[in-house]
Amino acid sequence: MRDTRRPRIILGILVLVCVTLIVLDLRGGGGGPLAPLRAAGEAVLGPLERAAATFVVPVRTFFDSLSTLGDKDQQIAALEAENEELRAQLDTVANDRARIADVDALLGLIEANAYTTVPAQVIAVGPAQGFAWTVTLDVGSRDGIERDMSVISGKGLVGRVISVGPGTATVLLIVDATSSVGGRLSGTSQIGIVSGTGRQDALQMQLLDPLAPVDIGDVVVTFGSEGDRPYAPGIPIGTVRELRGTEGQLTRSAILEPYVDISRLDIVGVVLRAPERPDRTPIEVTPTPSASATGGGA
Amino acid sequence: MIVRRVVLCAVLIVLAVIIEVTVLAPLPFPGATPGLVLVTVAAIAFAFGPVTGSAAGFAAGILLDLAPPASGTIGVTALILTLVGFALGRVFDADDRPIVITTVLTALAAALAVLAGAALGGLLGNPRIQWSEVPVMIITAAIYAAILALPLVPLVRRLARAFVPEAFSR
Repeated sequence: MRDTRRPRIILGILVLVCVTLIVLDLRGGGGGPLAPLRAAGEAVLGPLERAAATFVVPVRTFFDSLSTLGDKDQQIAALEAENEELRAQLDTVANDRARIADVDALLGLIEANAYTTVPAQVIAVGPAQGFAWTVTLDVGSRDGIERDMSVISGKGLVGRVISVGPGTATVLLIVDATSSVGGRLSGTSQIGIVSGTGRQDALQMQLLDPLAPVDIGDVVVTFGSEGDRPYAPGIPIGTVRELRGTEGQLTRSAILEPYVDISRLDIVGVVLRAPERPDRTPIEVTPTPSASATGGGA
Repeated sequence: MIVRRVVLCAVLIVLAVIIEVTVLAPLPFPGATPGLVLVTVAAIAFAFGPVTGSAAGFAAGILLDLAPPASGTIGVTALILTLVGFALGRVFDADDRPIVITTVLTALAAALAVLAGAALGGLLGNPRIQWSEVPVMIITAAIYAAILALPLVPLVRRLARAFVPEAFSR
């Protein structure tokens, strides 16, 4: 440290570069002057994260299974009870099922609710102090992933793809404060906007019709967007946990409990194609509406 | 002679960034994610002083801003870590600082970094900042940083002396 001014000059330069980057990124938005920098970061760091994940994921899975070991007895009891309940339901449902199968066949639906997905592993997560609910998947453009595809898990909607690298894709989770999804109450077909709250256990839904009948426990599914981007129709989002605002107010909102446990994401699916829409040719059947509406209503 | 220093710092920083996003962030730690990158920058700054410290902070911050799944404003983490690297590098002198001081300073830097990140996010209009969670984040970030600093600061110092002995010849 012969020259005491040298550290300060270097600090000044670096701070200036940072501020410039911040301003450029804020002004430029998504496709701004820093887009190539972002793409380069994804192309270089993505493969490193994938390589790390091949060591990390088995270990993580092992520790995850350890931490849930204590709950297994409880889980088995709950599952047994559920099993019996479902078996009882199955008998009554069998009759309906036969009719639905007939209608499906009539409409020419082969796989009524099969989303064509690419399975993917969550390999990286954003640090919590950034407040962003985003994760990285180990699939990218060479697997056919594109921006704005829906991401689902076995339970329901996870989020949408916001950026794609060669071998990685970044997903904005539905609980992120900047996420909003068109939602539909599956019983009544009322629609609304489901936005993230930044907390992993709650979503907020603004109902467009303030007089819409909503009950605790109602199921909300995606409304679906044009061309299935960013959200394919009919994906379960969550159930209504709480209602806010009285009837008759300009807007009414509901707090939803998401189906997907964001903190335990592991394997997810990126939706390449939503199920084929039912044929709209008029036919002479009057199907009894069952509780679970599929993608046809949009 | 500068090459060895750059290579050592680059390896440490890239490792820290990758481990932070693939190992530490997915684990359900209460509050903040342990700031391995920040502690690494602090350790480099303690070992090499303010110039290398601020450069390492800048590089590490840019990598964190770019590493998937980062979606925030590019430059925010870089700015904070540059300042951390510079400030902690000022503590550097040829003699080893006692571990108590380095640990406390690293924890303090981690706490201030979380606060600065939230404040800067708020200033720049980031809608994601949850102020109700910031106090818990600050406290947990400081605790995790202290725990990480205990082994990491001496380790990086030893590595620095082994690979870049000329920096300590005075």
